[in-house]
Amino acid sequence: MLTLASKLKRDDGGKTGRASGASDSTHRVSIRDRLLTKEVSELEAHLPSTCKASFPDEDKLHHFQLAVSPDEGYYQSGRFQFEIDVPEAYNMVPPKVRCLTRIWHPNITENGEICLSLLREHSIDGTGWAPTRTLKDVVWGLNSLFTDLLNFDDPLNIDAAEHHLRDKEDFRNKVQDYVKHYAR
Amino acid sequence: MDDGDEPPIVLSHNTSLSSKSGGDKMFSLKKWNAVAMWSWDVECDTCAICRVQVMDACLRCQAENKQEDCVVVWGECNHSFHNCCMSLWVKQNNRCPLCQQDWVVQRIGK
Ligand SMILES: [Zn+2]
Ligand SMILES: [Zn+2]
Ligand SMILES: [Zn+2]
Repeated sequence: MLTLASKLKRDDGGKTGRASGASDSTHRVSIRDRLLTKEVSELEAHLPSTCKASFPDEDKLHHFQLAVSPDEGYYQSGRFQFEIDVPEAYNMVPPKVRCLTRIWHPNITENGEICLSLLREHSIDGTGWAPTRTLKDVVWGLNSLFTDLLNFDDPLNIDAAEHHLRDKEDFRNKVQDYVKHYAR
Repeated sequence: MDDGDEPPIVLSHNTSLSSKSGGDKMFSLKKWNAVAMWSWDVECDTCAICRVQVMDACLRCQAENKQEDCVVVWGECNHSFHNCCMSLWVKQNNRCPLCQQDWVVQRIGK
């Protein structure tokens, strides 16, 4: 099978590629893809036990899915799918991430928008995106949204946060209801 | 190509460390912790943006075959990057991505 690593090596040898169209955009793609080749192997070597990454097309490391199956807390027994798209301008800009599984969560809307500081492109403090971060940081961040980074104080889904404040047991029931319907 | 132990980097860190502690006399070699200096050196030796050694050309210049034009930039925080990599990043956020201090160029060179 043709892996991206071997494809990049071959392109390197051929320099001005036969099939390459606009050289400017292919250059920029290749910077991203070169970074991703390293980052994906680093990610696969350090994937949390609760995570599974899948690449539908091995030639497109910039598009993949992540399944998180928390083994503790409110979301235990659920399996939550994320879609990760890495833009061409990576790593000057962060990956774009959506949650594909409907979820009742203070930091994820029911439409799949996610509030995770390191995915923020412009931030005034040091918690936003920086080119020193890698896919590994993104995956560990998403995984932590179910444990350490679960944050009821600065919610994106305000209804979910207020629900938790009002009645923790009822909040737990609704979370598990959603898990039964959408996250198995 | 893998020559990570360039003397100029070690020297520049020594000078900055001694000036920070206030004394302007020469530092004593007896106090020099070789192990600590080595790990500090390695950390600075790789551009944290494109992850290529700063003494080599950055990923972009390698791809575009412009190795000669690629220089290193040092910030006042003493972190170093390829000038190409850093000038792309400061357009978005004028901070050192490693220590979050405001980015002020200390020097540019090889
Ligand atoms: Zn660089
Ligand atoms: Zn360069
Ligand atoms: Zn710095």
